[in-house]
Amino acid sequence: MDIQLKRGLLDVCVLAAIKDEPSYGYKIIKDMKPYIEMSESTLYTILKRLEGAKMLTVTTAEHEGRLRKYYRITKSGVKRIEDFKDEWQEIMSIYRFVTKEDA
Amino acid sequence: MKEQFLNELRSRLKGLPKNEIDERISFYAEMIDDGIEEGLSEEEAVKRIGTVDSVVSQILSEVPFSKLVKEKIKPKRTLKGWEVALIVLGFPLWLPLLLVAFTLILVAYIVIWSLVIVAWSIEFSFIMATIGCLIGCIPIFIHGGALSGLSAMSLGLVSAGISILFFLVCIKICKVTINFTKKILVSLKNGFLNKE
Repeated sequence: MDIQLKRGLLDVCVLAAIKDEPSYGYKIIKDMKPYIEMSESTLYTILKRLEGAKMLTVTTAEHEGRLRKYYRITKSGVKRIEDFKDEWQEIMSIYRFVTKEDA
Repeated sequence: MKEQFLNELRSRLKGLPKNEIDERISFYAEMIDDGIEEGLSEEEAVKRIGTVDSVVSQILSEVPFSKLVKEKIKPKRTLKGWEVALIVLGFPLWLPLLLVAFTLILVAYIVIWSLVIVAWSIEFSFIMATIGCLIGCIPIFIHGGALSGLSAMSLGLVSAGISILFFLVCIKICKVTINFTKKILVSLKNGFLNKE
């Protein structure tokens, strides 16, 4: 996939991975793996960016005698997903335009 | 294995702000622990993250240069009065040196990118030659005869062919240059990290 396109999608995918319940780094990567691959370092950068944009909050909780960070989506994070859906409608109509000759 | 990886990573990231290093290290530590909990061996869990080199260069490509420089020039202790005075008085010396360093970097960039500009200029002139010859061959046909007209036209077709081929070369040169400048930036940042 085109690297610019992927970069734009990753943010929304990470938000989608924590949408239903708070999640942690390893699980986010695992949940996304069937759809889109990403390295640990990339995830770190995205989480930092989303935290800076107040689209998620971070809490530290104990797990099996060690600390683990959990990421919880905020209202503006949910809104980002909704915006993405709207944008995607536009992209889909462009897609139909681009592929209409093939049909 | 895990400790070795994290220690090496920590020492390689020395030029970053302390709290940022801690945060990144604990992030990778958590990733490795979670991998082990999922049933991976310690070695596999570390391997999943990648080599220290690949992690460092990815981090460096994301961290802005200004942050590295800021961390670098931040004094490790508060400066004594006479040291401040020395720095201020010494500015006729270090300012030109700093300017020279920045100019050299700038010049290097300009030199590299002028290659790209030259390539595209050549491409442009081939395209113009193609258009010129193909349009020009019509009056030459009429006034100069079939032979001159044909040779003008063939010249146009030849430069059309060259310009198409050279277009691909230009794209390649562009890509190589972009990769090259990226690499230079990362190694420049690396220099900032390690010199201590």
